[in-house]
Amino acid sequence: MTGRRVLITGVGSFFGGELARRLERDDEVEHIVGLDTRRPGARLKRTELIHADIRDPKIAGLIAPTRVDTVVHNQIVRQPGPGMSPRTMHDINVIGSLQLLAACEKVDSIRTFVVRGSAGIYGAEPHAPQFFTEDMARLFPLRTRFQRDVGEIENYFETFARRHPGVTCTMLRYQPAIGAGVDTQISRYLTMPVVPTHLGFDPRLQVVHASDAVDALAVAVRNPVRGPVNVAGPGTIGVTRMVRLAGRTTLPLVGPFFGPVTSAAKRVGLPVLSEDFGRLLRHGRAVDIRRLEEEVGFSPRFTTEMALEDWVQAPARAAA
Amino acid sequence: MVGVGPALGALRLVREGLRQGLDAPEALIRGAAVLPRDTRRAVERAARRLDGDYREDEWGFDEEFADLVLPFLDFLYDRWWRVRTLGAGNVPGHGRALMVANHAGILPWDATMISMGLLREHPLPRYPRFLVLDWAFSLPWVSVAIRKVGGVAASPFNALRLLESDQLVAVFPEGVKGTGKPFRERYRLQRFGRGGFVELALRTGSSIVPVAVVGSEEIYPKLGESSPLARAIGAPFFPLTPLFPWLGPAGVVPLPSRWLIEFCEPIPTAHHGPDAADDRSLVLELSEQVRDTIQAKLLENVVRRGPAFA
Repeated sequence: MTGRRVLITGVGSFFGGELARRLERDDEVEHIVGLDTRRPGARLKRTELIHADIRDPKIAGLIAPTRVDTVVHNQIVRQPGPGMSPRTMHDINVIGSLQLLAACEKVDSIRTFVVRGSAGIYGAEPHAPQFFTEDMARLFPLRTRFQRDVGEIENYFETFARRHPGVTCTMLRYQPAIGAGVDTQISRYLTMPVVPTHLGFDPRLQVVHASDAVDALAVAVRNPVRGPVNVAGPGTIGVTRMVRLAGRTTLPLVGPFFGPVTSAAKRVGLPVLSEDFGRLLRHGRAVDIRRLEEEVGFSPRFTTEMALEDWVQAPARAAA
Repeated sequence: MVGVGPALGALRLVREGLRQGLDAPEALIRGAAVLPRDTRRAVERAARRLDGDYREDEWGFDEEFADLVLPFLDFLYDRWWRVRTLGAGNVPGHGRALMVANHAGILPWDATMISMGLLREHPLPRYPRFLVLDWAFSLPWVSVAIRKVGGVAASPFNALRLLESDQLVAVFPEGVKGTGKPFRERYRLQRFGRGGFVELALRTGSSIVPVAVVGSEEIYPKLGESSPLARAIGAPFFPLTPLFPWLGPAGVVPLPSRWLIEFCEPIPTAHHGPDAADDRSLVLELSEQVRDTIQAKLLENVVRRGPAFA
């Protein structure tokens, strides 16, 4: 039997690049194809790079000749980076996923689809179960644009999975990631000069260490299961404790001022907190990861707390 | 209590520490050095918490915080409500169990006093986790305090997960119907929902411990309610008591009634098997049995306790 042939979208991102590097070391993976408009940050040896925009219908003609059996959809944008409008983010997420699926319709070598989705689909609600299991995706209305995007993406993949019973589609629902040197929503938040919080609220958050986030993708490629799977570091941490461990000062804001103040911060060059993230800081969210551990067979090495401590200690480690 | 002298000395040291470029927690610890030992410990602990040096479990329960508020709850237990607790030994010392109690008194003081009763009277004390009306979790501060002392949002998913991890869980099946009932209906149990708590117990094989709380009905005698105000703040109801809202924040102070808490004989459910959770007739029968036990105990103990405010 010949080895696996894997396509990774968004290979220019940290997670895409790291996954490619990890798969390059795996002898069972015969060929790796990376699709992105950006150059990968990681140094890759045997990954074939395709320079194309995922929103472009022309990717159909580029994917078919690669004869891949596995597609890892890693290009879902969680927060608009510098110079990216919310509109572009929506386009990449929804139109990008749609074009990718359209392109894959005609590639009959595909057996596995792994998506780096988001636990954002559960939302952040005061009345929510304290641990979401995979079957609780639509307990609450999808309130923010990003949530609706994720909902849309999940719909596309469910439809695709129904139309192609021979393809195993794994929808990984990630909690926010954190890791040394990785630019994520959490790290941007914790490096603000003063950290805005909701006055009188201290919700439980859950994060996943960046290396566990990449490993989970790699394990899911080897052992895909059908349907959604939550990915997070075990345990939770209160926002206040998280900010204190990071050695920052909180700026508690009364509910109605939170939005205006954080968007004013944008004008002085501070990172923008998305609507989703704002809700997360008010009500928090945690997920159940039994399916990840028992069915996919991956147990994160870092708990939520350890992931955060690792990130806090990283600068000191680098200096030593 | 700390005298004025040491307190001023401590403040001076904190200020010097800050001027020398120490951060707040360190300066506090240095300042505390001149305080009496108990106070010094408390200040040091508070300073460590400012550095994020405390633990919360995955539910957000913070045992250190719970210990910190213990003296206040002790005061309520001993002096304010003069609580007597009977039958604490009926609560299993380890493993999963579901306590089912009557609910009254608008704010979940009854839950805190049940916890206190167990901590004080049980040979193997442990903090129970209690299911709190969802609405409380959308309130500032209240939501934080509740989760730090072991409260979780009232959702069957939460209860199931807690019981599966062998916790002691307290539920109030009357819910809002219990807390929101008028004063003249005191000690008359409301409907026990659809028996969801029995399903949980059966599914997890937990025994059910009925708990009868006498005294909570008098702490906020609800004389009426205002629906426009309830709608305005999104609350399930807006109570009017002799003190609230007329006295403003002071109206939240509960009246000092005398309390009697009794833990009744546990009702085992494990022998029915988890599939029995789908047996409607068994669920309703057990639910009724628990309700009758609590109601009978309440009527008995109201008499036993005597006058509420003596």
